[in-house]
Amino acid sequence: MSAVLDLVTIVAVSAGVFFFLAGTVGLLRFPDTLTRLHALTKADNLGLGLVALGLLPQAGSLQNGLKLVCVWLLVLLAGATVSQLVAQAARREGSSS
Amino acid sequence: MIGTVGEHRTVQRAAIVRAVLLFGFWTILAGVGVADLLVGVGVSALATRVSLHLLPATPRRYDPVAAARLALRFLRQSVVAGLDVARRAFDPRLPLRPGFVSYPARCPPGLFRSAFTAFTSLQPGTLPAGSDDGGIVYHCLDVDAPVVSQLATEEVALSGVVRHE
Amino acid sequence: MNEFLTVMVGLILALLALGLVRVLRGPGDADRMMAAQLIGTCGIAALLIIGVIGDISAAIDVALVLALLATFAAAAFAECARRAQQPDTPPETEGP
Repeated sequence: MSAVLDLVTIVAVSAGVFFFLAGTVGLLRFPDTLTRLHALTKADNLGLGLVALGLLPQAGSLQNGLKLVCVWLLVLLAGATVSQLVAQAARREGSSS
Repeated sequence: MIGTVGEHRTVQRAAIVRAVLLFGFWTILAGVGVADLLVGVGVSALATRVSLHLLPATPRRYDPVAAARLALRFLRQSVVAGLDVARRAFDPRLPLRPGFVSYPARCPPGLFRSAFTAFTSLQPGTLPAGSDDGGIVYHCLDVDAPVVSQLATEEVALSGVVRHE
Repeated sequence: MNEFLTVMVGLILALLALGLVRVLRGPGDADRMMAAQLIGTCGIAALLIIGVIGDISAAIDVALVLALLATFAAAAFAECARRAQQPDTPPETEGP
């Protein structure tokens, strides 16, 4: 049972790190501010979700597990809100210059 | 007279639901010791007051089945969005056709539209970047993708969660 | 398991540092605002893993506070940028 849970952790956390890598590569390679914002918002939110999922079997207590889920939900909500605000600012910057 | 009684009920109902949710959140954060719970009662009462001030109660009801379906759809779509970004980022040719698309949203500006833009900001290829006359301006990774029809599908899915009475 | 997770923390922090290079180069204010988002995801992921490795539940609390601070910082940044460009106009987002 423990080996299966460890496997879940390894697969999910590795997948999470893969998406962090994709986000950073996008951030470095994409040509303009708004496309870079796409990369950062979408890939990194998924990366964090997978890391949090992978850590659940290792959390040790129910409270820690629920806290991990809360952190993930909060970051998801924050990412959805903040990305729009930054996109608005980037669009204004683009139109005024 | 009936209106004000109904209004009072709406506020009361919202206050109870929010207080229970906030108290539950507190127990996750602080644990279930006696002292923690005592502080939690005060904190969640205060938080409920602030929450009713910031987001006034409305007679809207939510359909839990539609909400659960929407949550699953959201998770699936955010995986698709992440894969989409990864595919474009790792492709040596960098396949991007970025640009703005105006989406004529049916919902008026307000809470529902805010929820809609937050929801769609994590969908594949679209990112809300402000509004123009009546529409929402989306920045897209690929302007040739069927963005408007995709967004219309999402709007229908999201509006299914709210039950008007 | 802890060895694996420690390596993952190192990788995430390396990616975070690499992303910050881009953020430093800018060129626009919006590019720099992305630092808050980058720390809000990579930094929090690293903190969560550290919390689980060392069984330090306080690290998870720190992650929660960091998530809140990153959000408010980015919102304040966006509002300042808006005011700098279009003074005396109400925010674009409407209340309920």
